[in-house]
Amino acid sequence: MANKKINKKNIAKLLGDWSKEFELFIPSKDEGIAKFAKWDGKDTSFLDWHRNTIVPPKAIFFPPVEEMFSFQKDKQSYHIELPSSDGQKQLIFGIRPYDANALTILDKTFKDTYEDPYYLPKRKNTVLVGLGCTKPYDSCFCTSLGGSPTDSANVDLMLTDIGDEFLVEGVTDKGRELMSMSSELEEATEADETRAKETKEATYQKVTRQLDTKDIEEKLLSSFEIQDLWEEIAAKCISCGICTLLCPTCYCFDINDELIKDRGTRFRSWDSCSFPVYTKMPMENPRIEKWRRVRNKVCHKYEFYPMNFDVIACTGCGRCVRQCPVNWDITQTLEKMQAKVQSG
Amino acid sequence: MKDRETEQRLRREAKALLEQGKVDYIIGFETGSLKFTTTPLITKDKDSVDRLIINPFIVNNLSEYLTELKGRVGIVAKGCDNRSIVSLIQDNQVKREDVVILGVPCPGIIDLSKVEGLVGKDRDELDDVTRDGDKVVVTVDGEKKEFPASEVLFDNCLGCEFPTPQEYNILLDESSSLVADKTASRKGIETLEGMPQEQRWDFWEKEFSRCIRCYACRSICPACFCERCFVEESEPQWIAPVPRWQDNLIFQVIRNIHVAGRCTDCGECERACPVNIPLRSLTKEMYDLVDDLYHFKAGMDKEAAPLMTHYETTDPEDFIK
Amino acid sequence: MAIADISDRRRYLAQGNVYLPHIAIIEKIIDETPGVRTFHFNFKDEKLREEFTFDSGQFGEYSVLGIGEAPFCISSSPTRRDHLEFTAQRVGRLTNALHRLSVGAEIGFRGPYGNSFPLDFLEGKNLVFVGGGIALAPLRSLIWNVIDNRDKYKNIDIIYGARSPADLCFKYDLDAWDKDKSVSMATTVDKGDESWTGREGFVPQVLEQVAPSPDNAVAIVCGPPIMIRFTFPVLGKLGFTPEQIITTLEKRMKCGIGKCGRCNIGNLYVCRDGPVFTYAQIKNFISSEY
Repeated sequence: MANKKINKKNIAKLLGDWSKEFELFIPSKDEGIAKFAKWDGKDTSFLDWHRNTIVPPKAIFFPPVEEMFSFQKDKQSYHIELPSSDGQKQLIFGIRPYDANALTILDKTFKDTYEDPYYLPKRKNTVLVGLGCTKPYDSCFCTSLGGSPTDSANVDLMLTDIGDEFLVEGVTDKGRELMSMSSELEEATEADETRAKETKEATYQKVTRQLDTKDIEEKLLSSFEIQDLWEEIAAKCISCGICTLLCPTCYCFDINDELIKDRGTRFRSWDSCSFPVYTKMPMENPRIEKWRRVRNKVCHKYEFYPMNFDVIACTGCGRCVRQCPVNWDITQTLEKMQAKVQSG
Repeated sequence: MKDRETEQRLRREAKALLEQGKVDYIIGFETGSLKFTTTPLITKDKDSVDRLIINPFIVNNLSEYLTELKGRVGIVAKGCDNRSIVSLIQDNQVKREDVVILGVPCPGIIDLSKVEGLVGKDRDELDDVTRDGDKVVVTVDGEKKEFPASEVLFDNCLGCEFPTPQEYNILLDESSSLVADKTASRKGIETLEGMPQEQRWDFWEKEFSRCIRCYACRSICPACFCERCFVEESEPQWIAPVPRWQDNLIFQVIRNIHVAGRCTDCGECERACPVNIPLRSLTKEMYDLVDDLYHFKAGMDKEAAPLMTHYETTDPEDFIK
Repeated sequence: MAIADISDRRRYLAQGNVYLPHIAIIEKIIDETPGVRTFHFNFKDEKLREEFTFDSGQFGEYSVLGIGEAPFCISSSPTRRDHLEFTAQRVGRLTNALHRLSVGAEIGFRGPYGNSFPLDFLEGKNLVFVGGGIALAPLRSLIWNVIDNRDKYKNIDIIYGARSPADLCFKYDLDAWDKDKSVSMATTVDKGDESWTGREGFVPQVLEQVAPSPDNAVAIVCGPPIMIRFTFPVLGKLGFTPEQIITTLEKRMKCGIGKCGRCNIGNLYVCRDGPVFTYAQIKNFISSEY
């Protein structure tokens, strides 16, 4: 199917058409911060501000807290119940390429060995409509991780800003089907295609932060035992969970029960390897020291994940850099590490 | 310009402290990796002290790091940070003789979120932000815009009673001329006070629904020095280790009580919060309550006993019914 | 609509939600030491009771519903299948709750998870078991397994120690192995009491005294991290190569299936890639992370 376009003024109508079929999520500031939220049927204000959300869209598939099951205790017997689900189809509008890429990375863990019964069905039920970025932050470095601000690789349908309009490209069958569901889309002209190409090239150049990922796995392996280096790198980290919880590729979780009288619930909730308690056992804690936790975080993303799944668990979204209250910067960390390994 | 001179002096003093072996570490600020940001510099290396800076963006309360460093530390401290250090001394977390305080009289720190709001641009799109006396000059797209400092300083800075460190080894500049404006610094709280109770409850429900339990508020707070926080206690379990708004709210309420008499209104908890929960509305209210009820201001006297560890016969007791 | 596959989550979950515990009933409780109990249990569902299989070294996630969940190895042998066993020390919220349970109580179990001891590799070899304290639990599953197939294996040496005579777990097993002529057994305590007539000394020291030959041998080690750290060098001195040393590790775990993150040693997850490892597999990371 040929590419199409949509005038920005008609975005609400397009969303309206799709919302008949899907539960729709858009970038929103309604809840006090930029995050993906359910569409209210009219809001298109993200067109004016959308650069990046604070909370990544992974939260739709892997929420900060999620009921795993509930149970009822009857004398000594337990009856377990799964949470009900209507299997509602979802559509995420305006997902950025680095966040869509992150979902592809997360899929690997949630599919590995045992299929995760909470994340995967939601993933399967959701179509992704990407919106290319035109104004990368100074914290962004997606181009260093093989991505681009306008990459369509991990979405179903891709929109690129061409001025008053978006060029609309069907990437997958699901995406092309979306195109046929609305009459708001017009045929794209050759001039539109050219403008989209120019936007893509220009935006790529706007990503100025660079990270050298060549041989990074090997370099991290050889730096693993250099305690001084990791102590220096970790010095200013305050061991909060911002960089991990808000990372689109971090997936660690905790599992906890709650019991009120005879009715209980088991939850899973976001957890972070930055917290000392994360690895705490009754008698021992293998990562009680901060530098070990920081080392694990860095190595997990750039060494261990590639060893397990052939992909770096970072998409260069820059949230960890921008949100860190002490400006601990992963790109500087890796530069420092590489300099150290090279100098011996 | 004045910052430049202070900065030069700081570097000289810091270098001398390391060279003479008077301290093992220097903690100060260096240029951050994003526009306008500064970042903590924690170093043993006398050459890296040349990276130390003083500017209107040195926001972190560096006393946070004192409890984890072993040895003697030279530390850059603004007025509020200085009080946090004194408070840590009161709590026996830090020994006075182990710290060399490099005091920086503070004219107030620029809140980039406020600048963003005023000019309608994100911080990385601004060409320059400079402080010029009572004004802050913002350059956007080559065009200069002037704002009164009171419009762009952090709320807690506006209400700062002690911008100049009182307990120092070296004071790097003359006293700050910042004048406290209590009303301006209680703006958020006054809005809340004007709400009926129901509405306040709804307000906090909405705010705490966003909390993701990253614990940045706790991690960045120098007064939160417990090795094991009540949140992680499992026997008994005080609150569910799950980010639901009710538990999130209780976490903050208890944290507030724990830092009562220790909180110096440095504002770091609210600044660190990645989901913009107005935490200072709680901590500042507690700060003022402590002052009103007990005439106690945190971190003013290193010899004084910590507020919550002692009592005086004149303490108010009419809350006991 | 072909646009997205409608997958009914409830149906999907019912097919095999890996996080759902099976209900099991506690049939017997044995006090091993003042803080350690062994629980015999069986599944409530009769079909599962018959169909459930596992291998020595595997573990399960055990729930006291409403309190939480924790991993313990299955400490009984798959060769003795009229019930299952696990052993727990009272150290935290979940284990406190477990210790409050009595016979007949229901617990949740999901598993078995993880890999197991490599029986094929062990066949035809001399086996040296080195265990400390409660960590005999995973070893005893294998020891009974091996004893029940005695002709498949050569010499069996067991070196087991605890802090004091009161801290020795599975005394009934120790007695049985002591009496078994086909097994050579060395039990030790760090410090004996008045009634103790056996060996004194730390496990690594006793291992050095017993000095099993590395020829055609495999050492299977399990104990607290401190014991493991001191035992590996002794085995090295005796001539065991890293490939000849097998251990089973314990880490904080939540999911048990390689997703929640915390039990990693380097790129390996103790729950997914272990808990059984050769020393060769983990020696790069174990010095600093275990």
